[in-house]
Amino acid sequence: MATNPMNQFEVYSIGPKIQLGNFDISFTNASLFMVLTVSLISIFFILATQKKSLVPNKIQLIAEMIYEFVSKMISDTAGKDARPYFPFILSLFLFVLVCNMIGMIPYSFTVTSHIIVTFAMALFVFVGVTIIGFAKHGVSYLKLFVPSGVPTVLLPLIVVIEIISYLSRPISLSVRLFANMMAGHTMLKVFGGFVVSLGILGGWLPLGFSIALTGLEILVAFLQAYVFAILTCIYLNDALHLHH
Amino acid sequence: MNDIKDLENKIKKLNPKKTESDQNRQSSMGIAMRLSSEMVAAVFVASLIGYYLDKWLETKPFLLIFFFFLGAVTGILNVVRTSKMINKD
Repeated sequence: MATNPMNQFEVYSIGPKIQLGNFDISFTNASLFMVLTVSLISIFFILATQKKSLVPNKIQLIAEMIYEFVSKMISDTAGKDARPYFPFILSLFLFVLVCNMIGMIPYSFTVTSHIIVTFAMALFVFVGVTIIGFAKHGVSYLKLFVPSGVPTVLLPLIVVIEIISYLSRPISLSVRLFANMMAGHTMLKVFGGFVVSLGILGGWLPLGFSIALTGLEILVAFLQAYVFAILTCIYLNDALHLHH
Repeated sequence: MNDIKDLENKIKKLNPKKTESDQNRQSSMGIAMRLSSEMVAAVFVASLIGYYLDKWLETKPFLLIFFFFLGAVTGILNVVRTSKMINKD
């Protein structure tokens, strides 16, 4: 069996090989789990909003709680102007959350443990926020890079630093999610391997560790989805309300 | 009616402390992760810019070294800003 702790991150194609120009776009296990995530969220919300009773039943209550949680998060961090972007942030949050949670099921695949997936999402947020900023403020959005009250001598250096700081946003956003998920899952697998190799005599200690780690990983899965969503809100706030 | 209001006030007095400490405990690991990745990302991006500028202007190692240190400065600035923001909440 796969004793290598990195084996779980392998992407392989399922079904026929599809080639588009120079790109291999065959259906992989990563795509399968993304489809699974999206359909799970869709089915949940379709079921939850079917009855729409004034006194909600259990599933509707959960859906309302998720809605209110994200709604409060947006109004707390980005204010009223960010209201139109609510659907995007809700979908982003739910996608990351459900991907992370599906990854916690044994033998499944964690989509968010691949940097290309998280980087694609972070880049989308970054480009979107930049476009919103320019659309809202025009050229004066560039004032973001020129903080007020800086001596003229230092200004060129400060502007370069600000630009680097702005460009590092998608990297830090994506690396954080990817590193957390990958490190956690590798650790779980390593401790699982210890249980097998130490056998019935010594395997109890790593077994306890992996149970504790599973709990921790579920917390991390939620926390990272939350951090991803809230940082998107913060970047949106910077773009909507220019204050420097 | 008065009893209920009294009870509500009592709950209000008790509750804030509890929820605050709960939140702090939950997110302290998130804060640590956020700060560290902020630092690394800035150094990485700046070094990348330096590397490609070097390639373009054919001034090999100098711009890379310069931008590496600039990235470290930016990283520290980012960490300070993020922790300021966290403290404000």
